[in-house]
Amino acid sequence: MNFIISTQSELLKTKRTASFWLSLAGAALIPTIVFLHLTLDPGDAVKTFAADPWKRIFFSAWQILAALLLPMYMILICTLIPQIEFKNNTWKQVFASPQTVSNIFFSKFLTIHLMILFCFILFNVLLILSGVLINLISPEFTFLQRSLDWETIMRLNVKTYISILGISAIQYWLSLRFKNFVAPVGVGLVLIIGGVVAMNLNWVHIYKYPYIYPFLSYDSMKKTSGPFLENHEWNSIGYFVFFMLVGFLDMKLRKEKG
Amino acid sequence: MDTTIIKTARLNFSFAKGQKTLQDVNLEVPKGSIYGFLGPNGAGKTTTLRLLLGLLKNQQGSIEIFDKDFTKSRIEVLKNVGSLIEQPSLYGHLTATENLQIYRRIYGVQKFRITHVLKMVGLEGTGNKKAKQFSLGMKQRLSIAVALLHQPELLILDEPTNGLDPNGIIETRELLKKLNKEHGVTILVSSHILAEIERMATHVGIIHKGKLLFQGTLPELQNMKNKQSFIQIDTNNNNAALSLLSAEYGAESKNGYVVLPFKEKSVTAAINRKLVEHNIEVHLLQPQQNDLEQLFIDITSNNN
Repeated sequence: MNFIISTQSELLKTKRTASFWLSLAGAALIPTIVFLHLTLDPGDAVKTFAADPWKRIFFSAWQILAALLLPMYMILICTLIPQIEFKNNTWKQVFASPQTVSNIFFSKFLTIHLMILFCFILFNVLLILSGVLINLISPEFTFLQRSLDWETIMRLNVKTYISILGISAIQYWLSLRFKNFVAPVGVGLVLIIGGVVAMNLNWVHIYKYPYIYPFLSYDSMKKTSGPFLENHEWNSIGYFVFFMLVGFLDMKLRKEKG
Repeated sequence: MDTTIIKTARLNFSFAKGQKTLQDVNLEVPKGSIYGFLGPNGAGKTTTLRLLLGLLKNQQGSIEIFDKDFTKSRIEVLKNVGSLIEQPSLYGHLTATENLQIYRRIYGVQKFRITHVLKMVGLEGTGNKKAKQFSLGMKQRLSIAVALLHQPELLILDEPTNGLDPNGIIETRELLKKLNKEHGVTILVSSHILAEIERMATHVGIIHKGKLLFQGTLPELQNMKNKQSFIQIDTNNNNAALSLLSAEYGAESKNGYVVLPFKEKSVTAAINRKLVEHNIEVHLLQPQQNDLEQLFIDITSNNN
């Protein structure tokens, strides 16, 4: 009960902040580009989209999302929400209120994840909406005649969500650790770039590197058999548990709060 | 007024090794008091208050608030404490009402309290205005509203009038006095300005370089001041006056005047009589008091 109250209070704090608009923009960017591309310049796309338009639109949109946009979004959202307290000098008021450290720590983390879920859901909705709109504008597309493959969409969403758990815990800890937002954002960006380089070099240990996990999850969707969770997704859960513990103990044991 | 709300025993704290920020601070804040916590900048006021709120980890000594060990019953104690530490801590992108809503559920208070405290601090008409657009005085008042939201028994305020204009200072002072008188709220308020504390406090603690140098009621502090009062005398023959009064009254020569410790009015009269009886013309005879300002400076400079 107390935890729900703490989370409600955390959600209230995000009102009118950049974190909400970032989630909105992050979710809308790719569907908007796809929509503009297919309506303004249908050309060959009608043919390439003919076989399975929904699969095609989902996979091409998800590829950009998983490789670049999502890791960047993770870094920013995990920084923006703790920054609300740093920027307003409000940590002291939070710690002087009757809330346990674990409620403070986990309710803020949950708020970040509610934002992420909002972004995921919006992304899917907008993508479906853009498919429908594309078809209404250009009837030569076949979106309206084909049904959505809900199972694939769910798998894509769930696997990708699991793949970002590790990054979110690492970035959350970094954002709580550093008052200056440049530190967590800078470290995060460097780690993303490192991941892209490692990916291009076909590094064999890539599945140990959390910042590339969303792309690995997307890539694994091409497989037709095998277990639901890939090795890297288990690793993501492992990183998540470990860094949540590190972050929590770091907050709990800190001598100077707020 | 006989029960103690805050009691610390041998509180020690250092930020860096070997440098003690607080040394054996034994704070006693009686119930129903306005306790003025006085000291120059850097004396350890904020450190003490942050320890009382659990914002700093207690290193040595004990803190009891409402007769409970603070470390063990932190949440329970904090439910009954309102605080304002240093600069206002408000969410700049939210309105006054929204800022209060954040804490309303945490403290489990009813909605009407929000309008109530806003009225109390005179911010009821700010509507959609965001806190970052507030003047410093308004921010400070909103911070006080946050501190008052849950009708705490104890208010811990760190320099609440810092940066306010004279009007704001008076309003804040009157508000605190009213809360204390009408609602029985115990208030621990820090300041580096003695005159400010003198105007509202019932009890005073003076801290300097991490040590509590004085703790007692305001009259006790004033008593100390009286002890340092003296009588200044000027006559047509100060040397004769000095030899006449030095043995019996401990007179000394100071700045060309004869100066002796003030005791009672009757003694002052006796001194005058004695001087006249010995044919010394008295030009000036007046009791003088060190003001509290001087006393404060004396207390804080004698203990280096």
